[in-house]
This record gives sequence, structure tokens and C-alpha cells, in this order.
Amino acid sequence: MKKTNTVVTRRDFIRGTVGATLGATLLGPDWLKGKEAGAGVAAGSSTVVIARDQAVLDEGMHADKAVLRKMLGQVLTGVTGETDTKTAWLKLFGPKDVIGLVPTPFMNPTHDELIEVVTETLVEAGVPAGNIRKAQGRSVDLAPITALVCMPGLKAHWLTGTGTVIKNYILYSGAPRNYHYADSAKLGEIWNLPQVKGKTKLVLVDALRPVCDKGPQFDPRYRWPYRGLIAGIDPVAVEAVGLKIIQAKRDEMRGEPWPLQPPPICVEAAEKVYKLGTSDLAKIDIKTVGWTEGLLV
Amino acid sequence: MPSDTIRLPEKIDGWRLAGPPRRVDAANIFDYMNGAGELYLSYHFDHLLVYEYKNDGGNDILVELYDMGGSRDAFGLLSLDWGGETVELGGRGREEGGSNPGAGSGTRSATQSDAGAAPLIVPSSRALYGEGLLRIWSDGVYARILASREGPGVREVILRLGKAIVAERADPAPPELVRAVVGAATDPPWTLRPERTSYFYSHLVLNSLYYLSHENILGLGPDTEAVMVTFEKDPEGGAKRSARLLVIKYPDGAQAANGLTGFVEAYLPDLSGESGPEVRREGGSPRFVEIEDGWIGYRMSGAYLALALGCPDEEAARQVLARAAIE
Repeated sequence: MKKTNTVVTRRDFIRGTVGATLGATLLGPDWLKGKEAGAGVAAGSSTVVIARDQAVLDEGMHADKAVLRKMLGQVLTGVTGETDTKTAWLKLFGPKDVIGLVPTPFMNPTHDELIEVVTETLVEAGVPAGNIRKAQGRSVDLAPITALVCMPGLKAHWLTGTGTVIKNYILYSGAPRNYHYADSAKLGEIWNLPQVKGKTKLVLVDALRPVCDKGPQFDPRYRWPYRGLIAGIDPVAVEAVGLKIIQAKRDEMRGEPWPLQPPPICVEAAEKVYKLGTSDLAKIDIKTVGWTEGLLV
Repeated sequence: MPSDTIRLPEKIDGWRLAGPPRRVDAANIFDYMNGAGELYLSYHFDHLLVYEYKNDGGNDILVELYDMGGSRDAFGLLSLDWGGETVELGGRGREEGGSNPGAGSGTRSATQSDAGAAPLIVPSSRALYGEGLLRIWSDGVYARILASREGPGVREVILRLGKAIVAERADPAPPELVRAVVGAATDPPWTLRPERTSYFYSHLVLNSLYYLSHENILGLGPDTEAVMVTFEKDPEGGAKRSARLLVIKYPDGAQAANGLTGFVEAYLPDLSGESGPEVRREGGSPRFVEIEDGWIGYRMSGAYLALALGCPDEEAARQVLARAAIE
């Protein structure tokens, strides 16, 4: 047990001193802490786009690829400011990029249909199919990959609060057990590893059927058809918007405040220590497209 | 009885067992459930048997039989979420006492009391169903039966599988520690919410219920038992108030004192100068402290430590802490 006053506690979250406490307690070289500007991600605004469509899931909860394709175009154009899917992709990637798609493989996994639609539209934009590969897992060789699309499923996580964006690269560390418990605060440093740093051009969250409790072990009572995609360039901002949706759904389900516990310390650290983006919703421009019922933001 | 003695049908309606069960133990649990294994390990997990039923419609049914260290461990897992529809599956019936360490005495149903006995503070459920998932506490086995999608007849098949699991198995009482909180749900002025009562050992589980710190500041572990309850008060014309009571049973008084010292040093550092005789005073007067989100009260007695958390005022902290029967 640590006998130090720099242990992060509930009181730090209430006082808003988590960042300062984390900065004092997290060990690691400066380059991992993101002292350099724009350390982990490509420079960009903290715009987050949510596209939703009731028709994306049928009664059996199967995803409709045609609707997904439309929604993907909506988030891509919203994030890049371009007018169509092709030009949006080409603003993020060059034709010579080797693109790694990083879906969530376990429990509430990223829909295969979304991975297929991303792949198909990238090829249509002129990226050779051979330059697009799945890049999730500890055995992936990241050296030849020049660009990443982070594609997690939106879910709460019982150990870390959230198991979505920042956690999605945990296997790149080669030692995922080193990022559990209190050390989940360090998840952001993985984004600053040399083989990862600066490669993430887009964060695209599968929010078709998020899970707001008990993740990652699946409990159907806490999964609901949000029927959305959430996208942005700033991973912390996208995570923060996802968290807001999850928190709002929890409160709605119980009819009373049901705070996400433990609080996702990795998000605060990703912003304050690893400089990966902003988690302050007041500084995030949230754009919404499509179905608005149950939007939760 | 271990889960290995449970006999599941080869075929049930249109579903057929896909093969022999997959066995998962502590060495490979993270391969099976990356990120969730810690939960089961914290409840003295022994092993897991995973069965799969398949039908022609592609609607698989997964049956997970978690063989835990004892009945209290399986109870603890169910207690993390009392939501869902209570279903009666049968079994051998409620037993006097319990064959497992920590099992309490009596055959009473939860939240009801025998004459002269303290009321329990948990729902009576032993199996809960919701949206294609059945969760079962059956002696030392915790079971999950999950359909890949709910549909006609699925619920009935899942319940029949549940009955096959509990058949002829004992139903020990909840662990004794749940009796360390006083009061029926109607005791004024604070009403206890049985569906929010949880039993656990690990600070990881505590943090999923009520976050205190990512560090293990209370010194919880496999040898410490803990119960967390929620009280509510609904004052006339005022907003509903809530407060938590955490009761921990350590292996001995020395470890309880260490737990309290660790808590005070990390969470109430302004009091840490009192470490030693004042803070660790066994059986001493309770302490009450105002912090950012309300009042905290704590009291140690022998191997027990009780903490009232998130109380709206000092009086509330006193009332909530008084519900800890740890003398």
C-alpha cells in the first residue's frame, strides 16, 4: 500500500486536481509524457461528429452496410470539412499510405460491416487494397504502417471506467497487464510509443450498440441500439463524447444518477500528462447528423 | 459440490451441445475474457467450464459454470447486480448454516427475519434473468447462461438449463458479514436499498461500486470480506439523499488498524498526523470528517472497520455509521 499523499483519490476528481496529482505520480520519460506539442496524434481540431440512423440496424440488430456507408460519409465530411467520402479520405491519407485499421476484437466487438465499409471506401478513394490491413493485436508489425484508424466499440469497462478509444491500443504495449488498475492512467503513453506516435489520422467509434455497464464481459441488459458512429481526429475528445453518452444512458436507465465507476482516469491523464487532446466538453465542437431521439449529448 | 458434477442435457429443444466443455483456469482466464478475469480471480476463482449450445437458426446459447472457492464467492458475484427478473429454479432448498466459510445461519429468505434474528439486507434472489442472460448463485457455483439473441422459446430453454444446473445442489445462506449491517428496509430515518447491497473482497470491485482510489488504500484482499450498502432518505419537500456504508472484516485487529491507517493517510491526509493511537483506537469513538462531497464517518472494532461515505451532513454520518453492527 502506498503511504503517500500523491495517491489519486475520489477527492482529486471532485476538486479537479487529478491532472496535477497524476503529473506528480506517473513515472516515465518526458517523451512518453508528450512534452512535445501534438505528441500522439496528428494535429487537428477537437471536433467530434456523431452520425445516427435508425435504419442502420434491423429488428434482428443486423447492420445495414448501405446505411453504414452513408453514415461513414457523414462523419468523414463532418470531421474533414470535405464534401464527399472520397475527398475526405484523401485529406486524411495519401495513396501511398499503409493504413492499419484497429477494431475492438473482444466483447462488444467492432461490427465487421463497419470494417468492410471503411475498407471498401478507402479502395474507392484510390488506396490500394494491399495497403489496408487489420492492425489490432500485440503481434502486429507497426513499422510499415504509416497511418492508423482507431475503430473501437463504445463500452464501459469495470476496471478503467471506459474501454473505448485510449484503451484500444493496449496490446501495442506488449504488456497489457502493466496498464491495469491504477496503472490504467498510463494507457495514454502507448499512443506516444515510437511505432504508434502521430500515426492515428482518425478515431472512428462504433456506437451502433454500445454497452454502458459491466464491460467488457457482456450483459445484454446494458447494451442498447444507439445506432451511431462517433468520429474525430482528437482521441481524447472522441473518448469524452463517448463517455458523456454512456453516462447519460446510465442515468436514464436507473432514473437517478449512476456515476461511471471507477472514473476513467486514463482520459484525464491522456489530456493532462500525455497531451493527446482535450477532454473538456466545453472545448469540443460536437456536430450531430441524422436521428436525434435518444442522442444523449 | 463442484461444477464438474453438473450434468447438462446433450439436446434441449432445437439446441444441441457443440462438444465437451472448454476448461478455463486462473492460468488462461485472460485468454478467455481479457479485461474481466480480475473480477473472478478476486472471488477465489478455481475454474470455469464453458459449454456451447447451437441450433439451426444460429442462435447460440453459452453456458458458463464458474467454480468458485465457496458459496459466499458465488453469492458475491451475484450481489454485484441484483437487477433483472427473479426466477425460481428449485435446487435442494435453503440450508441451515452453510458448508462454506462465511456462510450465515438460518433458512430465512433475505430481507425477512426469523423471530429474534437480525434481518438480512439483500434480496432473496438466487437466479436473475434479463434479456437473454440468466445469472445463478448455486452453492459454490456462479453460472451465466447467455443467448446470442432473445427470441421465442429462448427464455424457457435458458431456464430449463438453469434448473439442470441447480438440481440437487445446496442453497447455503448468504455470508455472515451481511448481518453486520443493522436494520430492515423500513428503519427510519435512513431506508436501506437491498438491491444495492454488494459483497466482495477486492478494492477493484469496491471501485466499481463506489470509487475511493485506484490504489488499495484500505488494504483489501482475498482474506478481507467487505459489504457495501446504500441508504436513502426522502425528506418531505426535499431532494432524496443517499449515503453508503462500507463494513470490512479483516483477518485480525492489526490488519484492520493498518487498513484504517492506510485510508486516513491517503484519503484524509489532514488527519494523518493522528496516525497511531488516535486513529487506530480500537473500539474508540467514531470519527466524523467533512470533505468535498459530504461527511465521512469511520469506526474500528476488533477486526472490523466501518465507514460511512458520502453522507449529506454529520448527523447523517452518525446515523449511517450506527447501522454497522461490529461490536
